[in-house]
Amino acid sequence: MTENMHDPGVSNKMPSSSGSNRGEGNSKSKTSRRSFLKLSVAGAGVAAAGAAGITVARRMEGIPQDTLPIPINDDFKPIDQRNVLHIFAYSKALDQKHPERTKKFGNYNFYERFKTFYNGPYRKDPGYTQLERALAIGGFALLSKLHGPYGLSNPDGLLSSWKQEMLAKSQYEFPSKQEASQVIKSAAALYGAIKCGITRRDRRFDYDPLYDIGQERELSWERDFPFEPKTVIVIMTEMDYLAMSTAPSWITDATVGNAYVEALKIAAQTALFLRQLGYKAVATMNDMGMCGPYAVAAGLGEGGRNGQVITTGYGPRVRISKVYTDLDYVEYDKPKTLGVASFCLQCKRCAESCPSEAITFDGPSWEPTYSSDPDYIWHAAKGVYKFHNDTKKCFKFWIENDGACANCIASCPYNKPDFSHHRFVDIMNVVAPSQVHGLMKEFDILFGYGTVSDPAAVKKFWKKGRTKT
Amino acid sequence: MMELMWYVVGFLAGVSGYLVYMLSRKYNLGVIGLGSLIIGLFLILFTVAWSVGSVLEGVPRAASMGIVFFAMPGIVLLTFTAKRFLTPRYRKT
Repeated sequence: MTENMHDPGVSNKMPSSSGSNRGEGNSKSKTSRRSFLKLSVAGAGVAAAGAAGITVARRMEGIPQDTLPIPINDDFKPIDQRNVLHIFAYSKALDQKHPERTKKFGNYNFYERFKTFYNGPYRKDPGYTQLERALAIGGFALLSKLHGPYGLSNPDGLLSSWKQEMLAKSQYEFPSKQEASQVIKSAAALYGAIKCGITRRDRRFDYDPLYDIGQERELSWERDFPFEPKTVIVIMTEMDYLAMSTAPSWITDATVGNAYVEALKIAAQTALFLRQLGYKAVATMNDMGMCGPYAVAAGLGEGGRNGQVITTGYGPRVRISKVYTDLDYVEYDKPKTLGVASFCLQCKRCAESCPSEAITFDGPSWEPTYSSDPDYIWHAAKGVYKFHNDTKKCFKFWIENDGACANCIASCPYNKPDFSHHRFVDIMNVVAPSQVHGLMKEFDILFGYGTVSDPAAVKKFWKKGRTKT
Repeated sequence: MMELMWYVVGFLAGVSGYLVYMLSRKYNLGVIGLGSLIIGLFLILFTVAWSVGSVLEGVPRAASMGIVFFAMPGIVLLTFTAKRFLTPRYRKT
């Protein structure tokens, strides 16, 4: 039975009985079947494309992992905060205690050199004039008013105080763990966070013992910290793309400082929000624990060759703050893999752009590959399978530059402004096999991205301002 | 400006869809002809989105490289389709 037999319009036009009638009917039937087949193929194609799109979109957001995608040895010990370079360089007592550290690094005294930081004369080079220094001071100096005079690595600051002020007497009861997490993330987003993740407190990521430079004494988690943290909320803020593209000029200091100020403000507000709900909470910056591993554990990104957390959408162009709290009735985020590890293996662009050669060209390892001398690698995290970089060399360039560097952030192919066409490249990055990543890096250079030490970038920054549209 | 760009690209995508429909009705394009026509048009539209975005973000070099790497293959494919399939020989009777 053919379709046109049911169609009165067609049957009226056809003669009632003839050979041609049957032939025409068969022809229409064949056409109809062909059309149906075409439609089916087209429909299947659309469905396949849709399914592939959903799969790629999910992979771009990261593949959730049950375990941390950073291999850590069982005998790994938490890092003594006295071995954090920015604590050591601020502390006169630690400098006097460890003369071997100065000696092993070519008689380079970190404490004395750090005192000269940001005190050098203005220069005539683009990006190093009075204009850029003023911008940097405006971006960064507020931190000492908000966090304290000993840098972001020093614990128990002003907005990051350990005092549990304004703690509500009664605890708000969340209907579910999911809702608790969503509420915290909504609050952080309102305060200005671009990303927020929640993870369990992990003692391996916390400095132990802690060290207060102001009092030049150790602090104990059990004796000095006001409560036992169970959860860490990780908050991210964005650094400006155009400002970052001027690296290593003093303009980058301005956006780094500005993002830190925002991160501290958001963490302090989120901590106060939790205290008003009756849960103990402390805002922290680079003090107390390592931001990178916590951000990875909270599913916000993946560790890159340059030692930064590489995130979706922003790459390494983010700053991180944290909130330690005793609230544990929350749904924890899972860590995710974004394909960064395989990309960084091939890319090495940050290492090529590093003016101090601090970033390794080697693959990941359990210990530093640049030295095995304990008096030289005193700051290194041993027992973690990652890219080990020599932060002392990085620090030395900061002092020479009289400002932070950020070349490794600016040159990273993941560092792109928030324009939709870069999402196409993100898709390619997810879909393409790792062998193609090296080619993608070359294309990134060819297309003009990730240049550093470019005087034109300074002019562009002052001319255009923010890139948001 | 990005919103305007997406509006224009959306309009051009609609026009392209209509063009594909009309040409496939008039000509026996087959899988190769239809495929090269659709991919060619997609590459041209992609180039518009890429290049306008690159200029707006202040990286004109990316815009020009985008034209070389995306628009050129698109033009080649569309030329191939026009020369090979959009001829009286392939016209439907």
